[in-house]
Amino acid sequence: MGYEELFPPYNMEWHAHATKRFANPFVGEKYDRIDVDPVMLSHAAVACGYTIRDFYEKPELGIHCLAYIYQLYDLLPVTHWFYASPWLAELGCKMVQKDTLPPIPDSTPVETLEDVDKLEVPSEEDLRKGTTYPQYQRLYEYVQKHIPQTFVPISYAFDPVGEAAALCGVENFIMWTFTEQEAAHKLLAKFTQTGVNGALCTAKDYGSAMLVVASVLANNDIFSDEAVREYSVKYMREYVDKSFRGGAGPQIFYHCCGNQETAYKEFDNLVWSPFTVIHVGYSGRDVFPTETLVKTFGNRATCMGTVDTKLLINPNPKAVYDQAAKQIVAGRDSPRGFLIGAACECPPYTLPANILAMTQAATDFGTYGKW
Amino acid sequence: MEAKFSANAKDVMSKRGLKEADIADVVNTAEASNRKLFKDGVNLAKKRIGEVTMYAVYDNNGEVQTAYSHRMVLGEPVKTTDEPDLSDWTCKHCNERAVIGSANMSYLGVTRTGPAIVCPKCSDVWIEEYLATMTIAAAEGLFEKKKA
Repeated sequence: MGYEELFPPYNMEWHAHATKRFANPFVGEKYDRIDVDPVMLSHAAVACGYTIRDFYEKPELGIHCLAYIYQLYDLLPVTHWFYASPWLAELGCKMVQKDTLPPIPDSTPVETLEDVDKLEVPSEEDLRKGTTYPQYQRLYEYVQKHIPQTFVPISYAFDPVGEAAALCGVENFIMWTFTEQEAAHKLLAKFTQTGVNGALCTAKDYGSAMLVVASVLANNDIFSDEAVREYSVKYMREYVDKSFRGGAGPQIFYHCCGNQETAYKEFDNLVWSPFTVIHVGYSGRDVFPTETLVKTFGNRATCMGTVDTKLLINPNPKAVYDQAAKQIVAGRDSPRGFLIGAACECPPYTLPANILAMTQAATDFGTYGKW
Repeated sequence: MEAKFSANAKDVMSKRGLKEADIADVVNTAEASNRKLFKDGVNLAKKRIGEVTMYAVYDNNGEVQTAYSHRMVLGEPVKTTDEPDLSDWTCKHCNERAVIGSANMSYLGVTRTGPAIVCPKCSDVWIEEYLATMTIAAAEGLFEKKKA
């Protein structure tokens, strides 16, 4: 039995409504309400009775769970499936499936400075024979066959600093940013080029490739603003610029998570396309203020405001509702459109009542024509 | 300057639906107004003709190397950083090195920001070929789809 046989027919009437709503921020329309994107991944599998491990081990099942559960919560008409360590298998990491986590590398193939020099960037052809890209090819084939209305070709570089750190060990990488800066840059450049090659494969095979790139490890808990600029923004820019040159894009999702209390200003220097969403997670221990997000980026991108992910596992939907409402009121007039989301991935065991609280806040405070 | 077209340039223009007369107009207007970018003996000129902005890349003898277009209407530059990267191009009018920046661009009544080459002195805005023919073309298609 194929995974598609586990799900009732997709509700195309709901999809038409959600598609029209999803277009709002990008084309300046005002249909229905502000959209809600809780950055859902394995929660979808859990909500369908499967496990976190199932979501990552069986991508086709995982993405079909997502498409199905989005209807329950009245979320987005498009699907995505990813984990935060793409391309590491091709760069020498052994990726291990876990019961409660996405796949993680259980080795650091780069131990010494010489290893950095020896590390080879896999070509597009290499990636096509590797692990990550063929997994996406299989997944996209499934989506195009069974839930094609939800299909968006996406390529992930995810968090270049985090990925480079995974290759050599986080402590090692952070130390190198002080003592072996050339090696840190080389490693980042090699990971970035690998991500670019992945984006070019996607663009060639599917005609376009939405780019998802993040700054997560590079945040103010660990890095200065200057270090975020030098080690994160520089390579996020490079990833997008080089990917555009090969036909990827035009959509970009910038996910800037962690504490970006002062470093958020550095993201000003990213590459902006007409279909860019920027999402900034936290300022100190608090969710990033939507007022600052809109003031800084609202004239160049669609802004995604945040609800603290910690709230999503607390049995207190009113707290979620109140925070979502506050962020929506602060962002709903953003000139390039606004979405409300979670600060980072919605936890696998997110309480359904808390997602309902987000959509209720979007309806109560984000219905166009009602404010 | 008289624009000349190689067989290769004619082939590219034919595939992109561009007329020789229009591209010759782009070159002539740029030469007459001194409004163009240049680098290493190559010039980049643009002109809005009808609903399309057309570009010609040509050498100092008027030999057109490539031509392309986009439908988006270019607007003002959007400042994103105090330290933009320099492009390879120089603005002929201002004799100022153009930077890699961002600019507003409008299509179907919607204004959004996209990547562009910008003269920091006169604020003129340009789209390079790879962007016009891939990223911007795809964005135009998405606007049409989402507006439908």
